[in-house]
Amino acid sequence: MSLLEIENLRVTFDTETGPVHAVRGVSFSLGRERLGIVGESGSGKTITGRSVLRLIRPPGRIEADRMRFDGIDLTKASEKQMRALRGPRLAMVMQDPKYSLNPVMRVGAQLMEGLLRRDRLGRAEARKKAIAALEAVQIRDPERVMEAWPHELSGGMGQRVMIAMMLIPEPDLLIADEPTSALDVTVQAEVMAILDGLVRERGMGLIFISHDLRLVARFCDRVLVMYRGKIVEELAAGDLMEAKHPYTQGLLNCLPRIGGPRKPLPGLDRTGDWANA
Amino acid sequence: MRDVIESDFIEIDNLSVTFEAKGRRVHAVQNVSLSVGAKQSFGLVGESGSGKSTILRAICGLAPVSGGAIRIAGEPVNTRNAKAFASRVQMVFQDPYASLHPRHTIDRTLSEPLAIHGIKGTDARVVRALEDVGLPASFRFRYPHQLSGGQRQRVAIARALMLEPEILLLDEPTSALDASVQAEVLNLLNRLRAEHGLTFLMVSHDLAVIDHMCDRILVMQHGRAVEELAREDLASARMKTEYARNLFAASADRMLGATSKD
Repeated sequence: MSLLEIENLRVTFDTETGPVHAVRGVSFSLGRERLGIVGESGSGKTITGRSVLRLIRPPGRIEADRMRFDGIDLTKASEKQMRALRGPRLAMVMQDPKYSLNPVMRVGAQLMEGLLRRDRLGRAEARKKAIAALEAVQIRDPERVMEAWPHELSGGMGQRVMIAMMLIPEPDLLIADEPTSALDVTVQAEVMAILDGLVRERGMGLIFISHDLRLVARFCDRVLVMYRGKIVEELAAGDLMEAKHPYTQGLLNCLPRIGGPRKPLPGLDRTGDWANA
Repeated sequence: MRDVIESDFIEIDNLSVTFEAKGRRVHAVQNVSLSVGAKQSFGLVGESGSGKSTILRAICGLAPVSGGAIRIAGEPVNTRNAKAFASRVQMVFQDPYASLHPRHTIDRTLSEPLAIHGIKGTDARVVRALEDVGLPASFRFRYPHQLSGGQRQRVAIARALMLEPEILLLDEPTSALDASVQAEVLNLLNRLRAEHGLTFLMVSHDLAVIDHMCDRILVMQHGRAVEELAREDLASARMKTEYARNLFAASADRMLGATSKD
């Protein structure tokens, strides 16, 4: 049975100027695999990810014909049930460490908070686990980082701290929203290898949200390409170069390549019928 | 604008930058030398903390230089004379959401440098600047929050060009943007460089972007220069150091395993 099943997901924001349809009928299912969701800003990929955790605040509305996680109906779950799911079973790594870490709490205290409160570990035990989690995301000097404030970390370090934090409770499904866009390529590859290892070893499901098609192709099994709230194409990652949809092709072609020609990069042509569908 | 022909327009000699925090000395940049010819485009690549952005900040006098020299057109850089420096060197920052004043209209953002420098003809210059970066004139009285990321970065580029500088320091100018918008901004920068005869010193962690934009590339790691490469050496993978090779191998561009032959 699949870990997550979503059918006809719609997310609407009611604004003064009328409803904004951020997600318009998205369906997919996920096993213990790595699924990539790609698209530009505003394509609804982040909102899709947040909907799974029901992290959409009013005036946003989530509607779906079916939204089940491991047999649990997420459309009917109470707020209390959702809170119990978020963290230990369903986790999300947010995009920006600047806004997602508590600025007035030391990194160590934030990492240990869940271990102390939820898992009721002793301080020494919690500290040991937190340091191990930082080491798992390749932080060179975990003792120093434990004592640091979030503003003292670089973007890449902050991102790794957030990934470490999400992985401590060993969730079944991890939704990673642009987890590596603030990182350098070498660190990016390391972080992806960590996430990859977790999927394989723990049988975790991963939804990887990114605007970087090439990265998604490299690390995911399947790719969903989103445009204006809809899935325009679904591909096995290996077949990305054979993408049929003009939007997917456009996204691929506008990236510079090492040793590529120096002529202006092709922009994305949005004149086709697909662009207004 | 002065015409400088010599090949060492920007010269950095054995530059060191040392920060002191809580009694700990952090050597952000150690003995890095580079030189950029006039109207050339030079790229700095490396991971976070490699000191690449710190070099740009040091040029602007925003980082504590502890050794070495920075010369522009043969003269030591004097950032104390802020006006003279600003009319020669300008910087474009990574995050267009943070680098524009949220409560200033685009018009005010673009006319401020002119007012400070007592340059006349504000009206016409602002209109021309918007046109130059491909923004409609109707954007002039909007606020940054009414613009998309790519449009904001265009405003930041327009602002940097208001004083007609010779040098643009570009600190990851497209890493906060979507791939399709990145393509537009890179094309814009290349067109402006050709039209205005600008010299670029560009920082990026994306080797493919640097390769597309720059003639020569300096790979940095832990505050030190690792290897300097010409564009052709990069394309044919002729790097000498292992670190540069790793960086090349890890570049997202290689991950598809397919190179375009167009």
